[in-house]
Amino acid sequence: MRTAVPIVTVLAVAVLAATAAGVAQSASRASGTLVVDNSFVIRTTDPQREFDPTGSIVAHAMYDTLVTFKGSGTKPVPWLATSWKATNGAKLFTFHLRKGVVFSDGTPLTSADVAFTFRRLINIKASGSFLLANVTVSTPNASTVVLRSKVPNPALTRILANPALGIVNSKVVKANGGSDAVGADKKDKAEKYLDANSAGSGAFVLKQYTTNQQIVLEANPRFWGPKPKFSTVVIRNMTAPTQLLNVQRGANEIALDLSSRQASSLKGKSSVQVHIDPSPNLFNIDMNMSPKVSPVTSNPHIRKAVRLALDYKAFAALGGPGSIQAAGMVPSVFLGALPSQYAQKRNVQQAKAEVAASGIASPTITLTYPAGLTINGIDFGVLAQKTKANLAEVGITANLQGLPVNAMLQQYAAGKDQMTQSYWGPDYPDPNDYQVFLPGGTAALRVNWKTGMDKPLEALGKKALQTTDDVARASLYRQIQRKLNADSPFIPLFQPSQAIVASKNLTGAVLNFTWLIDVRSVGTR
Amino acid sequence: MRRFASHRPLVRFVVRRLAALVALSIGITFIAFALTQVVPGDPIRANLGQIAQTQPDVVAAFRHHYGLDRPLPVQYLRYLWNLLHGDLGQSEQTHDSVLHDLGQFAPATAELAITAMVIAIVVGVGLGILAAVRRNRPTDHALRLVSLGGISVPTFWLALLALYVFFFRLGWVPGGGRLDPGVLAPPHVTGLYTFDALVAGQWSTFWDAFRHLILPSLVLALFNVGLLTRYTRSAVLEVIDEEYVQGARAKGLPEHVVVLRHVLRAAMTSLITVIGLAFANVMTGSVLVENIFAWPGIGQYAYQSATALDLPAIMGVSLFVAIVYILVNFVVDLLYGVIDPRIRIA
Repeated sequence: MRTAVPIVTVLAVAVLAATAAGVAQSASRASGTLVVDNSFVIRTTDPQREFDPTGSIVAHAMYDTLVTFKGSGTKPVPWLATSWKATNGAKLFTFHLRKGVVFSDGTPLTSADVAFTFRRLINIKASGSFLLANVTVSTPNASTVVLRSKVPNPALTRILANPALGIVNSKVVKANGGSDAVGADKKDKAEKYLDANSAGSGAFVLKQYTTNQQIVLEANPRFWGPKPKFSTVVIRNMTAPTQLLNVQRGANEIALDLSSRQASSLKGKSSVQVHIDPSPNLFNIDMNMSPKVSPVTSNPHIRKAVRLALDYKAFAALGGPGSIQAAGMVPSVFLGALPSQYAQKRNVQQAKAEVAASGIASPTITLTYPAGLTINGIDFGVLAQKTKANLAEVGITANLQGLPVNAMLQQYAAGKDQMTQSYWGPDYPDPNDYQVFLPGGTAALRVNWKTGMDKPLEALGKKALQTTDDVARASLYRQIQRKLNADSPFIPLFQPSQAIVASKNLTGAVLNFTWLIDVRSVGTR
Repeated sequence: MRRFASHRPLVRFVVRRLAALVALSIGITFIAFALTQVVPGDPIRANLGQIAQTQPDVVAAFRHHYGLDRPLPVQYLRYLWNLLHGDLGQSEQTHDSVLHDLGQFAPATAELAITAMVIAIVVGVGLGILAAVRRNRPTDHALRLVSLGGISVPTFWLALLALYVFFFRLGWVPGGGRLDPGVLAPPHVTGLYTFDALVAGQWSTFWDAFRHLILPSLVLALFNVGLLTRYTRSAVLEVIDEEYVQGARAKGLPEHVVVLRHVLRAAMTSLITVIGLAFANVMTGSVLVENIFAWPGIGQYAYQSATALDLPAIMGVSLFVAIVYILVNFVVDLLYGVIDPRIRIA
C-alpha cells in the first residue's frame, strides 16, 4: 500500500504521456483537411429550413445560389445566374442561368430546380420564408427564371444570395418526400433526408452531420466552379475558450467565435493571423412611445435627453477593440449607412435642460435587458449599467430589470418594455431590412410606434422601397436615419467588432455575415 | 417451488421498484411540463427569427407542428399517450425525434460517466484506504489536502485549466470532441466509441477515441475522487480495529489481505451508498465538462434544450435522468444484499 500514490501518479502521467504520440499523428492526418471551430447554432442542414449561423456555413458550401458576394462584400455578383435585370419598378426580375451546371449526382441544374427550391421555401413556412414574401416564380425556359414581386423589392438580388435560397436537386428532394406545393408546411418530409445527404451543386457534399458534434464536408468532384483547396472540411462544435486554444495549436484551423478581446490577445503570435472588423450587428436603446406603458419615454424631451446623455465613445470602448459608434441604424458596411459626422454627440448640459423642459419631476424608467446574454463577447448587463450611470448624470433614474432571454423577448415583443437595452442583427445586407425601425415596422411595433405616428418619415420609407437606383436609395436611407436620430424611439449606440482567427498558412479566411465563412475560398499560402 | 419461493422477496422488490419507476416517471413528466409552462418565455421567441416571429402563418405552422396550438391539458395527455407508444416527441432545436437524440447523446455521456466512475472508484477508494491505514501520518495529511482540493475546486475552472496545461501547453491530449477532425465515428453498436471501434477492429479509431476520453473523464472524476477518499477513510477507520480484524491479523494474514478482504468488505456497505451519490455528481458535472470539452452528450443537450425552451427535449432529458437515478439506486439496493448477506431485501 505504501506505493499506491506513486503508482496512481505514474499511471495517470503515463496514460497522458502515451497520448502525446497520438496527438502528433493526428496533426499529420489533418493535412488536406480544413477545421472550422464554431459554437454551433444549427437545427438542420436542409437549406430551406436552416436560418442559423452554422447552418448557413454548411448550406453555402453545399448549395449554390443565383447570386453571391465576394469576400466580405454585399454587392451581388453572378453565380448560378450569369446575368439578370430588374424591370417594372423592381417588381420583375429575370435571371439567366449558367450552362453546364450539374448537381453532385450528375443531374443537370435547370430553372425547374430553382422554381422548386423557391416555392418550397415559401410554402414550408420556415424561419427564412419571409425572404421571398410577396414573390412568385416562373420559368419561361430551362435556363431562365422570372421572379415577380407584388411590391417593389430592390433588395431582392441581395436577398437571393442567402444560403436559405440554395438550389436543391428537385428530383432527389421530391423522391425523398419533398414538396413545393401549398401545404408543404405539413406535407414536406425531406428534412430527414437532407440532414444525412446533400442534394446541391455546390463545392462540397455532406459526408457526416452529427448533431452538436461535427459536420464533415467532402469536395464535390462534379462542382462546376473553381475547385476548393481542401478536400475535406470539418466544422466542429467548440466553445470560445476552447477555440482560443485550438487555433493556436492546430494546422489549417479557423476560430469563428472569439471576442475581439480574445482575438486581440493573439496578435503578434507567429502561428495565427487575426482579423478584426466592425460587424454589421447593432447595439441600440429602444424607448416605448406609448404613454400607457411609460409617460416618461413617450415624452419627446425625455427621448432627446436620453439621446444627449449617453457616452457613445465609452459604449464603443465596451464593445472592445475595433468597435465603432453607430452613426445611424443602418450599419456602416451597408448601402445607405450614415457617415460618421452625423453620429449623435454627448451633451450633458443640454440633456439636463431637456429633462427640465419635459415637465416631469424625477423621471424614472425601467430599463430591461437580457440577463446573462453575451453577443460578440459583450454582456448586456454591463451595457445596462453604463446606460443607468449616464442617465443618472442628467437626472433620470433607470431601474434595471434583467430577465432571462426568452422572458425578455416575450415582454419586448408584447410592447411592454419602457426602455430596452437592445440589439439587431441583419437578415440580409440591404437597407430595406431596416424598414423595421419605421412606424408600423416589426421593431417599431415593439415600442408601440404605430403606422401614422410619423407620416413624413413613413413617406420617405415608402419612397425608398420603390426606388431601384442604389445611389438614390442610399440618399433616401441617409435622410431616414437623420430623421430617426432627430426624434424616434431608437438610439443607435455602437457596432461591435467581429473577429476571425486562422492559422497563419491559410488564405481567404474572411468573415461574411450572410454565411460567416466561405470554406470553398479558403486556401493555403 | 422452494427455490422459486426463496426468490419471492427479490421478485416482489423488483416489481415494487418497477411500479415506482412508472409512477415516478409520470410524476417527472408532469413536473417538467408544469415548470416549463410556468417559466416566462415562449418557444416561438427562442426558435424563430425576429422577422419570422411576426409572420402569423409561420408562427401558426410552428405551433401546429409542435402541437403548441392545443390546450395545455390536451398537450400533456397527448404527450403521455405518445409516451406509452415510445414516442417522446420531436425536438425543436435538432428537428429530430427526442428518442433519436437521446439515443445519440446518451452513449457519449455514458462513456464519459462510466470512465469517470471507474477512475473515481479505483483511485478514490485506493487513496481512502491508504489514508486510513496511515492515519494521522504525513501521507494521511497530504491526502486530506488532495481530497479537499478535489471537492472544492470548481469543475469548470479545473476543466479549463486541464485543457490549457495538458492540451495547449504540453500537447499530451487532444483539445476537445470525441474524435479528431476527419476521423469518422465507428459503426454504431453501442454508441460508446471506444467499444464500437474495438468491435469493428478499428484500432486507430479506438486509440483516437480513448485519447479524447482521458482528460474530460479525469476532470469529471476528480470531485468524486476527493469524496470517495474521505468516505472510504472514515468507513475503513470504523472497522479497522474491530475484533475480527485483529483476529485476522493474529492468524498471520498479510496486511494487504486483511485490509482488502476483511476491512474493505465491511466498509463497502456504506461506500456503495456514496458511490450511488457519486454517480449523481457525475451526471451533474457532465453539463459543464461536456460544454468545455465539446463533448456531445446529454449535458450539452440538456443545457441547449433549457435555453431554447425546447419542451419535448426537456421532458425527454428529465425522464431519462430520472430513470437513470432510479436504476442506479435499484442497483445499489441489490448490491447491499450481495455484499452483506445479513441484509435481506424485503
